[in-house]
Amino acid sequence: MATNTESVDLVGDEAATNLARAALFAALVGAFAYVTFPNPVSPVDVTLQVLGVFLAGIFLGPVWGGASLVLYLAAGALGAPVFEGGSAGFGQLVGQTAGYLWSYPVAAAVVGAVVHRGATLRDLDSVGLPTLVGAMVLGTVVIYGFGVAGLMLVLSLGPIEAIAAGAAAFLPAEALKIAAAVGVVRSDAIAAA
Amino acid sequence: MTLSFAPGDSLAHRLDPRSKLLVQVAFAAVAYAYTTPRGLVVLTLVAVGCLLAADGGPRDLWSYRVAFPVLLFAPLVAGATLGAPWFRVERAATTGLASYRVLLLLVVAAAYVRSTPVRESRAALQRTVPGRPGVFLGVGVALVFRFLPLLKRDLVATREAVRTRLGAERSRRERMRLVAVGGLSRALSRADRLGTALVARCFAWNPTLPRLAFRRVDAPALALAAAMFAAAVLRVA
Repeated sequence: MATNTESVDLVGDEAATNLARAALFAALVGAFAYVTFPNPVSPVDVTLQVLGVFLAGIFLGPVWGGASLVLYLAAGALGAPVFEGGSAGFGQLVGQTAGYLWSYPVAAAVVGAVVHRGATLRDLDSVGLPTLVGAMVLGTVVIYGFGVAGLMLVLSLGPIEAIAAGAAAFLPAEALKIAAAVGVVRSDAIAAA
Repeated sequence: MTLSFAPGDSLAHRLDPRSKLLVQVAFAAVAYAYTTPRGLVVLTLVAVGCLLAADGGPRDLWSYRVAFPVLLFAPLVAGATLGAPWFRVERAATTGLASYRVLLLLVVAAAYVRSTPVRESRAALQRTVPGRPGVFLGVGVALVFRFLPLLKRDLVATREAVRTRLGAERSRRERMRLVAVGGLSRALSRADRLGTALVARCFAWNPTLPRLAFRRVDAPALALAAAMFAAAVLRVA
């Protein structure tokens, strides 16, 4: 073991709780990668990762929500089986899913910034339905924008080809996830103080 | 069969995690710089060499199976056109090479994942990224590894509970909501308990990490990384 002779620099209560939440949300997004639902328009199943990204932005806010998804990417790159289909490794961050993965922290930050109108969290009960849905639609645009750009760069496809190969089959399911996320936020079972 | 760390005494297991990370980044750089048939043949040898050095085999790639349909499908989509000549072989070939390049990146990543324990990865991250961001990343990554199996189990339990109560008859939106509410409320309560426990145990910004040191065995890996970086830079310049 390496020896440290400097004095202990304690992490504050609030930062420790936020760090724990960010890590747990990152793990939750990873666990959502294993939950598959039949896709309404395609034989390829959809997973709930994007729902996790929305929820991280909504419940943790732009700063810790974004940080949480950065942890998700770092853990996946270092071998935690958190990516699509339980895969892992740095290769995913530069492979064909690169655009989607790199968009997650940005999308969580965007969703959080719109829902909370800034970096400080506000009570979710005071957030109107249009704001909530608008934030997640914007988040979806960010995710698919990055994702399609990533497919174009990594697989040298044109924009239409990239949408056909990696976005068209999944986009309709995002509406379901947005509706589900609204249901989660309005649920009595969740009390995030 | 999921890809995860497998204890062993192979060459890759004995390397410093930082050398292995450098090799991966350099490999990605060189793979993007030389996406030509000849370049990819050489890189295939390097990638297979990396996997063999970690005592890995084809079964380690099985966890990437969800990526395969897109990689196979993409060249066909790229080649297809509306109207004559219907299929352009050269466009399909360009995308085919790009797809193959992604496969090689996954092979090299599999070698890292197989040969590196979590605490070494964490130490590498924390020693490479300075200050509090490094500690945040290091602790966070370790916690993700620790809590992923628990949260997966929570979600499975929720789904089973929903199914037992004939929840499968409900709409897809409602099922997604129920699973998400279950997972989220468990995750939040775990996070709050964990936060309290961390504070109670003097959670610090400067914990003691396992020692990492570059040794002689790292020299070939570092040389390989340097050579690949140089090749990529030469190509771009």
